[in-house]
Amino acid sequence: MARVKLTDVKKVYDNNVVAVHDFNLDIADKEFIVFVGPSGCGKSTTLRMVAGLEEISSGTVEIDGVVVNDLQPKDRDISMVFQNYALYPHLTVFENIAFPLRLQKVPQEEVFKKVTEVSEILGITEYLNRKPRALSGGQRQRVAIGRAMVRNPKVFLMDEPLSNLDAKLRNQMRAEIILLRKRIDTTFIYVTHDQTEAMTLGDRIVIMKDGYIQQVGTPDEVFDQPKNLFVAEFIGAPKMNTFRTNLIKENGEYYVTPFGSKLLVDGLKGEELKKRKIEPQEVILGVRPEHMVLGKDADNDIDAKILVNEMMGSELHLHVVTNDNTELIVRVPTVDLSHEERAKLTSGNEFHITFKGNVMNFFDVESEENLLN
Amino acid sequence: MTTTPKKHMGLKAKERLSNTIIYILLITISIVWLIPFIFLVFESFRVESTYQVGYVVPKQFGLDNYINLFTKTDFPIWFKNTFIIGLFASVIQTIIVLCMSYTLSRLRFKGRKLLMNVMLVLGFFPGFLSMIILYKVLSWFNLTSANSVPGLILVYVASSGMGYYVSKGFFDTISRSLDEAARVDGATRFQVFTKIIMPLSKPIVIYTILTAFMAPWGDFMFAKYISHATSAGMNVAVGLQYLISTPQNLSAYYTMFCAGGVLVAIPITILFMCLQRYYVEGVTGGAVKG
Ligand SMILES: Nc1ncnc2c1ncn2[C@@H]1O[C@H](COP(=O)(O)OP(=O)(O)O)[C@@H](O)[C@H]1O
Ligand SMILES: [Mg+2]
Repeated sequence: MARVKLTDVKKVYDNNVVAVHDFNLDIADKEFIVFVGPSGCGKSTTLRMVAGLEEISSGTVEIDGVVVNDLQPKDRDISMVFQNYALYPHLTVFENIAFPLRLQKVPQEEVFKKVTEVSEILGITEYLNRKPRALSGGQRQRVAIGRAMVRNPKVFLMDEPLSNLDAKLRNQMRAEIILLRKRIDTTFIYVTHDQTEAMTLGDRIVIMKDGYIQQVGTPDEVFDQPKNLFVAEFIGAPKMNTFRTNLIKENGEYYVTPFGSKLLVDGLKGEELKKRKIEPQEVILGVRPEHMVLGKDADNDIDAKILVNEMMGSELHLHVVTNDNTELIVRVPTVDLSHEERAKLTSGNEFHITFKGNVMNFFDVESEENLLN
Repeated sequence: MTTTPKKHMGLKAKERLSNTIIYILLITISIVWLIPFIFLVFESFRVESTYQVGYVVPKQFGLDNYINLFTKTDFPIWFKNTFIIGLFASVIQTIIVLCMSYTLSRLRFKGRKLLMNVMLVLGFFPGFLSMIILYKVLSWFNLTSANSVPGLILVYVASSGMGYYVSKGFFDTISRSLDEAARVDGATRFQVFTKIIMPLSKPIVIYTILTAFMAPWGDFMFAKYISHATSAGMNVAVGLQYLISTPQNLSAYYTMFCAGGVLVAIPITILFMCLQRYYVEGVTGGAVKG
């Protein structure tokens, strides 16, 4: 249970690689923060600076109001789950979990009690006498989590804990982490490159790229109001459709004109544009695949031809191409499609796409920042 | 399952033939290799003569040579000297080598690469090049002749850091994230070393102890030079050679010399048998660790 505060944190490695620039973040007590971003963007480096495994080149890290820059990991009262589990091969599961307690010279009875309790929560009581090498990946992961929990640390750090598991187990463990989080009730910093994990686990998400924070916000915020094009495309799957188009103003109303269509910017987004008196200009327009719908109006809607129709069960992913060969993805829920409508949605067929104003995202062509920031 | 029975037989016969050849070869080699030792054992039990005779199997077996060795020569002193040297050298050397290797494997500091390269290159020079200087230095501190036991321990231990190579290679195979996990779990660097790295490195520790203990039993050059013809400062190798160094002595002590040779093998063999399981693991362990 602790507040973690990073101020102007910077990391320069010996080879002069600047892995993290000006990282500022205030993590509230008991908050679950997720660092997400593509590989090499500096997530692990930042986490390891909080852990004390990596020297902080400049700036400060505070835990509970205490600057910990010069404290050894053992003096920071944190625990960490590593991507490769890092279990001690020569110790049994019991002794692995007990290891942090043994270092604190906790009496045997209490060690026994705590290890038993943790292993019951994680469902690994049967394996307590085994060595790690006799466990499956999922079981090892649980032991690693158990070892991190047993001490009730102030801050719980996890570096891609699920990325070595197969897809099914990953989903299961993700759900378990959500439950576990309720039990442990401490501050979490969780690193992942997987936006689904970030969206489902985080109270707030920190999206990073090339060592810079792109946006910090709740899952809703980063999904609905991406600060820039990178965030817009990184969050959400399949990724947001983005294309250049003109934002025009006629009779006090804004319109966009992608691919020879003319779509009214209605709703909240239209209001915002008016309020901020945004100049008509060329923009990058972003619309999520699930927000594109089948249009009826042949004059104003976008004409598209279906390339591939992927049946995903509850929805179709239509890969379509517009009249200037831009590829878009459209997600169509199958539930309200009639048989005839569905039969028409096969590759080679043409149809119309439209979308509402309030699902449009406008990005500056140069800076790629959201115009409505 | 596609081979016909006839072909199968052919293969089998071929295999048997090649196996036979291999066995004959191996048996021959081991006989050649064992003969000197068998001769040595026979000589050591010979009672009828103390000098060389024209046949191998003694006419009369007995422990006379062994008893004489202990009662009529300085052999007990040499044996004790060597044992003490081996004991100290192996303990001190093991500690130095392991600390050195762990440091070079885990810590990054200025000049680390240079240090490793310099030590590697220095290791290419034969040790005896420094013998005269070493003798001088040791004699300033009065660590030669009768005092050569501590002198020799110093000599063996002094350069031991240079033997970091094998154990550093072993430590390098242990994932650094284990160190990091332990440090986060509350361990100091020293506790990481003792509680994580050491238990995982048992084979290489045993290997280091064994090699350090064995070296002084066979060392002749340094031991002879530093003990400087003083019996009280000799190790077994020098002492036994000293026993038969003149033609008269050779005929009087030859069979005792052989008995000494057999005895030297005993402590090493015992230690080796105790630690053998780990020793084999230690030599190949780095490669098979998953
Ligand atoms: N020990 C190191 N020495 C030098 N550069 C490093 C080191 N560790 C990471 N880097 C570099 O720092 C950047 C960020 O790495 P990292 O924090 O591991 O990224 P992520 O965890 O987001 O994939 C990368 O460009 C990486 O190559
Ligand atoms: Mg990483």
